[in-house]
Amino acid sequence: MTYPSVHPTGATIYNPDKCWNGYTLFNVRGYGALLVNMNGGEVKLWENMFGFPNKLLPGGYLLGSRGERNTKYGTQDMLDLVQVDWDGKVVWKFDEYEYIEDPGEDGRWMARQHHDYQREGNSVGYYTPGMDPKVDGGNTLILCHKNLENPQISDKKLLDDVIIEVNWEGDIVWEWVCSDHFEELGFSEEAKNAMCRHPAIRQNGGDWMHINSMSTLGPNKWHDAGDERFHPDNIIWDGRNTNISAIIDKKTGNIVWQIGPEFNATPELKKLGWIIGQHHAHMIPRGLPGEGNIMIFDNGGWGGYGAPNPGSPTGERNALRDYSRVIEIDPTTLEIIWQYGPAEAGLVQPMDANRFYSPFISSAQRLPNGNTLICEGSGGRLIEVTPEHEIVWEYINPYISMELPFNMVYRAYRVPYEWVPQLEKPEEQAIERVEIQNFRVPGAQQLGCSNKTPVEGTQESTEYGDNLCVAMTPE
Amino acid sequence: MTYEMFTSTGCARCKITKQYLKANDIPYVEHDFNGEGKEAFAGFYKANRKNIFRDQDGVEFPVFTDGNVIKQGVSIIIGHFASGDSLTGFISRSSLHGEWIDGFNVSDGNPDQAEGLLTVLSHLKKHNLKIQLNSYGPNADLLEKILKQGLGDRLIMEIKGPVGLYAALSGNKIDKEELIKSIRLANQFPEFELFTTITPLVRANGSVDFLTPEEIGETAKLIEEASHSKKNPYLLKVFDPETTDKDEFKSVESMATSSMFKYRTQARRYQVMTEIGNKET
Repeated sequence: MTYPSVHPTGATIYNPDKCWNGYTLFNVRGYGALLVNMNGGEVKLWENMFGFPNKLLPGGYLLGSRGERNTKYGTQDMLDLVQVDWDGKVVWKFDEYEYIEDPGEDGRWMARQHHDYQREGNSVGYYTPGMDPKVDGGNTLILCHKNLENPQISDKKLLDDVIIEVNWEGDIVWEWVCSDHFEELGFSEEAKNAMCRHPAIRQNGGDWMHINSMSTLGPNKWHDAGDERFHPDNIIWDGRNTNISAIIDKKTGNIVWQIGPEFNATPELKKLGWIIGQHHAHMIPRGLPGEGNIMIFDNGGWGGYGAPNPGSPTGERNALRDYSRVIEIDPTTLEIIWQYGPAEAGLVQPMDANRFYSPFISSAQRLPNGNTLICEGSGGRLIEVTPEHEIVWEYINPYISMELPFNMVYRAYRVPYEWVPQLEKPEEQAIERVEIQNFRVPGAQQLGCSNKTPVEGTQESTEYGDNLCVAMTPE
Repeated sequence: MTYEMFTSTGCARCKITKQYLKANDIPYVEHDFNGEGKEAFAGFYKANRKNIFRDQDGVEFPVFTDGNVIKQGVSIIIGHFASGDSLTGFISRSSLHGEWIDGFNVSDGNPDQAEGLLTVLSHLKKHNLKIQLNSYGPNADLLEKILKQGLGDRLIMEIKGPVGLYAALSGNKIDKEELIKSIRLANQFPEFELFTTITPLVRANGSVDFLTPEEIGETAKLIEEASHSKKNPYLLKVFDPETTDKDEFKSVESMATSSMFKYRTQARRYQVMTEIGNKET
């Protein structure tokens, strides 16, 4: 997260032999849905498309939105969810979730979609061998907003999360309302008290849960072994404002698996450690390395409700941490199977841990060769890392938004070349990691001093060089 | 004939009832449940338990008797003195407490007795109660009088379904123009809400099935035609076999909420604010 004011953008590292090569899709605010090749070349832009997130379908189809509700009156409400073809023509559309009349604006239908959706055929929305999403039919699960009141949670109007299932014709055939399950979530009285008074108020209500990812489990070994909690149709989601990640039964809507909001409750949770403000919790689909495990971008930053503390005078956002980690866990034991955090990135903890840190947005995608594509969202950095934590591809989003002056990327997806038949497979040119000691901008002088003076009595080196103001982790 | 009335200290509706009786020179003996009348009411209640409504909040006062007939609740007692039993259908027990009072179904009574209902509503309104009314279309002229005299604060209107199915759904046919008039009037109340319950019905061929999504679309279209608006608060309710008063439908399986979405989709083509509500109550 600590950037100098001048730094390279675009592709900065690329090892074609170790990468799972393909195109990478992400949304650039104010620019559109952008597809880049492994060398960072921009091979396609669907201009001005919104994407919360954008997803690519086989055949060069794009999913995303065509606009956002006026932010004076709505919080992250997309107007619609559409599938467009390579030429930008709409081939599927949904917007009839709620009819909205905002002050001074014409009334219109809105999807109020936010953060995620899933097209039938694929459980998680990214490439999985043998699990292609449908492109000319099928249902779509969509995460939407709905305003409502629920005095159990707060006396303030709420901005609730709703999951709906929409068929190809645009009819809603299933609906799940998060606040209906408040009592199942196991909040402590301290948390309820803080939430009641401060339910994460935004423009049009208390965003008490803030679900930011939603996907189905798909076929998996746990269900094959008879564990009904992991039925392939069940849905996993996470709520960044509560630190909860959960699975709901598609048939009953009840919560059947959950971690958070407390991480001190059991030895397994304590060992797992606090997951805070997390994103993109999903089960790695069958057909990919790690299948059946749950992968989470554990942002850190701030999240949860509980007793007030110096970092949280009101008890809202009362858990804090200033680095991120991507974790892959066994959902039956909560054991961490794989992770990528500051230590794996080679950063000194805790002093330099915040160099791997995105306190909001972000994602992680398991690739067919076992690598993981990580979107460290707030800094606009996309990296592909091997199971051994080597960065084999790195890309920095060069675009800084006019509205928000930084280069954030909400989420990124790698897709196979064959999903884009309109383009010829690009040349893959390795990018060697630049030795930054010698990396200079024009006008800067080279490394090294030609005027050295020995000082009598000084040590040449010390074995006590790691004795800093704060203890290293672990020490 | 000696009238007795059981009241409760601090009961506003008891005071409203007493003021009506006083204004109309109707003598009665009062027993205050919270005072000297406690034992008298206990004996009366024990002897007439099945005729006195009581819920988790206790007994609703006032309770009135002439030795034979028992009447409970301000509107029922005043209605009894205003028009005898001729307001049956128009007035029933109120389920609301505090400043709001309900239990008035404009469509269910004899329109020839409209003046009696207006008398009751006027007296309640004079004492600053807020009145919630129900209608399902019939007696549109009476509804218009209530509206013009400012005697209703909220109207809950049930639209049973398409005009052509009204006889099967409510037991009585309705003239389309009358239904349209009632819907149009509903729009003019300070607060109003329209709803339809997705109920089973006996079809012309004798078969029993639920209203269809297309018929709900037709109903929503009628609302648009009557109100010249697509933006009415319109609720679709799930039929509850446990609370229906139609014996033939008590064994019908309740519809899953997920089945309601296709009804909402059809209705929203004409009424964009349509939502799915709880089971009918």
